[in-house]
Amino acid sequence: MSGRIDRQQTGTGWIADLALGARLVFTGGRNGLVRTLMAAIGVGLGVALLLGGTSISTMLGARDDRTAARDDQFIGAPEPPPGDRTLLVANVDTEYHERGIRGRMLQPEGTRAPVPPGLTALPRPGELFVSPALGRLLATGEGALLGHRLAQPVAGTIGAEGLSGPGEYAFYLGTDQLEPGVTGVRIDHFGSDSTREGLDPVLLLLVLIIFVVLLLPIAVFIAAAARFGGENRDRRLAALRLVGADGVMTRRIAAGEALLGAVLGLAFGALFFLIGRQLVEGITLWDISVYARDIRPSPALAALIALVVPGTAIVVAQLALRRVVIEPLGVVRRSTGRRRRLWWRLALPIGGLVLLLPLLGGIDQTGRTFNEAQVITGVVLLLVGVAALLPWLVEAVVRRLHGGSVSWQLAIRRLQLDSETSARLVSGVAVAVAGGIALQMLFSGIQHNYVLSSGQDVDRAQVAVIGNRIVDGVDVGPLNERLRAVPGVRHVFGTLDTDLAAVGTPREADGYRPSNALRIGDCAVLRELATLDTCTDGDVFALAGNGEENANLPPLPTAGQRVELGDRTVTGWTVPAGIRTATARPDPIGREVTGILATPGAVEPGRLAGLSAFIYLAVDRSQPETLELIRNAVTTLGPGMQVQTLDATYRVNRFTQIRRGLFIGVLATLLLLGASLLVGTLEQLRERRRMLAVLVAFGTRRSTLSWSVLWQTAVPILLGLVLAIVIGTALGTTLLAMVGEPLHLDWPGLAGMSGIAAAVVLLVTAFSLPALWRLLRPNGLRTE
Amino acid sequence: MTEPTEKQPLLAGIELHKTYGSTPALDGATLRIWAGEIVAVMGASGSGKSTLLHCLAGIVRPDAGEVRYRDRELSAMSDAERSALRRGEFGFVFQFGQLVPELTCLENVALPLRLDRVRRREAERRAAEWLTRLEVDDVAGQRPGEISGGQGQRVAVARALVTAPRVVFADEPTGALDSLNGEQVMRLLTEAARQAGAAVVLVTHEPRVAAYADREIVVRDGRTRETVLAPR
Repeated sequence: MSGRIDRQQTGTGWIADLALGARLVFTGGRNGLVRTLMAAIGVGLGVALLLGGTSISTMLGARDDRTAARDDQFIGAPEPPPGDRTLLVANVDTEYHERGIRGRMLQPEGTRAPVPPGLTALPRPGELFVSPALGRLLATGEGALLGHRLAQPVAGTIGAEGLSGPGEYAFYLGTDQLEPGVTGVRIDHFGSDSTREGLDPVLLLLVLIIFVVLLLPIAVFIAAAARFGGENRDRRLAALRLVGADGVMTRRIAAGEALLGAVLGLAFGALFFLIGRQLVEGITLWDISVYARDIRPSPALAALIALVVPGTAIVVAQLALRRVVIEPLGVVRRSTGRRRRLWWRLALPIGGLVLLLPLLGGIDQTGRTFNEAQVITGVVLLLVGVAALLPWLVEAVVRRLHGGSVSWQLAIRRLQLDSETSARLVSGVAVAVAGGIALQMLFSGIQHNYVLSSGQDVDRAQVAVIGNRIVDGVDVGPLNERLRAVPGVRHVFGTLDTDLAAVGTPREADGYRPSNALRIGDCAVLRELATLDTCTDGDVFALAGNGEENANLPPLPTAGQRVELGDRTVTGWTVPAGIRTATARPDPIGREVTGILATPGAVEPGRLAGLSAFIYLAVDRSQPETLELIRNAVTTLGPGMQVQTLDATYRVNRFTQIRRGLFIGVLATLLLLGASLLVGTLEQLRERRRMLAVLVAFGTRRSTLSWSVLWQTAVPILLGLVLAIVIGTALGTTLLAMVGEPLHLDWPGLAGMSGIAAAVVLLVTAFSLPALWRLLRPNGLRTE
Repeated sequence: MTEPTEKQPLLAGIELHKTYGSTPALDGATLRIWAGEIVAVMGASGSGKSTLLHCLAGIVRPDAGEVRYRDRELSAMSDAERSALRRGEFGFVFQFGQLVPELTCLENVALPLRLDRVRRREAERRAAEWLTRLEVDDVAGQRPGEISGGQGQRVAVARALVTAPRVVFADEPTGALDSLNGEQVMRLLTEAARQAGAAVVLVTHEPRVAAYADREIVVRDGRTRETVLAPR
């Protein structure tokens, strides 16, 4: 070590000490530099995630602004009169391989019709404008089946300002076939003030806690990463003591080293963030993709990160030095010194509970607001309690462990000597798991509010094809044949529905004509809609009243009454004398139908037009392309035909997205923490290189040392998991009580979170084995 | 002194060559060890004496030449076989003791036995006996960081001898000790080895340490030259 250590205890001295600390990193040889780089990369990963986290609000905002600007569904707003500035729009959304495709057919009614964002002009009839992602899909073999549905020539690309994200599948198709009020909706502008869907308080609570749960372990991780290379640094500091540095100067020099690592970490973090931002454009998850330019960290939060990260590194380095006495002749660890105090560690989770208790039962879906800061502080204190209690728990438990195999003994003794390093590395995992368990409990407790029964009967049919007032009777037979020919379709049945009104029924001011429904199908199909004792072709049934649904409808016509069928084009029909009453039953998509059921012998559908088709299909779901082939088959009847897969339940979209986001987030956090654990384990192995070589020299098996590494990671993780389960369950119970739900232990969620953490341990061990085996080479004994 | 009366040496390294990168460590070194004898391997720093010891102990494979232990060629053995050999037949003492810091002294001495599948209680009983023989039974429950360097080396000697090895490899065993402690460690090591009938390969650069040996081999530039010491 060169350089004199004589400096005044002034500001200049401070700076000189910090600078010396930083310089030691570069002059301390390759190993020191590698360790600092590892710490910087670790901190950088955490910083990048934090920057990503602080960008979420701007990212969602930009996305919502674009989707609001292209909005063309103005529910409840009066339809403008036709004119030079109006446009007919048909929603022709579809799906392909479970990815949603936003589709619109556009038909201008004048020369100054509005142009949607992302287009410079409206497409001419037959012209197709596609999003870049959809264009790429159509250009590859992967999109071949979709090409049958969108066979029109691609005339252009939709610009970014008209898309929610770079991976969105979207198209605009020009047409001249739309009929106002039937297949097309008239609009005179695109865009609404906002389509931002506010979160109800319970979902807001969930989102807040998810942020805490995901970001807190990263903060713990950053604190752990700042200590990588600690033992080596302690030896360097001892050397400085030898040449005259006093204790205070040593601490400042250590702070300088930590500061450099943290500042480098910030730089790496910014770099990783920028790289990740570019890569993110290529990723689409659950139909959501993001433009790089939308990911902008909030400047205030970014500044906070820039201040807090180096500050944390310095504080952590100083705290670590408390357990070490750096003397000129070496470093002494106060490993067997005074035991850790429990009281202040317990005070953290208890304080968190005290903050949350006043909120019990105070958060519901009625829109009442709650103190977000109180919730966040309470949850943070509870979760930080995991990180604070874990070193105490590990120390207390490993102190009592004895016996076992050599590998177990080596690991336990190592933990007894220094459990802090392992506990510190594991605490991030424990915090993430505790938060994950609490959230899973909350999710499973409230999911009944968000996961609703759809009423759909998937035993009878799995797919429904629906065309609303756009089907001509003559087309249905060929369509059914085409559907039956699709590989994987086992059964096709359905009704054709039309309006039925007494002759001379006047239209109301808005054009609505009060009517009942007439549903035409053969006896087998009608049995799906009503309980029929006997049925032969030519029979007609009046469905017995189903209460509220019939309340606003005109009375059903009686036998012999003359009625009109259809809406725009009407056909006369006399209700047969033999009409009987039947009781309705829900159809496969859960509708309890009303009106009159007729067999084709009573009403010949071939002579009717503008019918609504409800076609149900039983399919073999093991055939992957059946759904796409069904969608292609119905395309011939026009874009208004919808293909719907049936499901027994449906979830409120935001709830599902949040839950999925949680899984991804916890997984990503645990993987990051796994990387931290790995770096920490490698660090410990490298520190013990010579000892390992000696163990090998006198014949220690590789497997013994490998198991020892596993135990050394697994024991603190296991204890961390126990603590995480206890505190996570306590937090989950509190959160459930806050939203007024009964206690519900989510065993699958608990097992899932614990399983992921266990997998992380195994992965860390597996990835550290090659390094261990490399270190076990006898070269480690060489000193010359 | 034990005379090399047997026809075959217990351990032999013949024409050993070993290079680290572009630096030759051994350049045709040859050495034979007979059962029960104590051989000092002397040489300046960087002469290749530690590499010679590592090759003889089966820790490092030579690039050329052969190492034979009781008529078995070490280079032909698998890693597991050589590990088993080191566990059962060899003992090691290094300059800084290299005790496992997290284990107590008793556990450190018992460790080679436990690696050889001896039950814990029995291993620790035998370890305690050796600690007593080496006059460090008072530190049995302490960790290496809590004892002096001389005590640590004596614990390391106990660890090397606890499996009743046929050969003890000692690499600068007194290099980190003052002369008084060094003398004590050498006396205990050689006495215990002679009582146990173990051969000792003693790497050192100190003549006063080499004086405990029956024979002296000098390594210079990776080659060996033998000196037979006067009987003591």
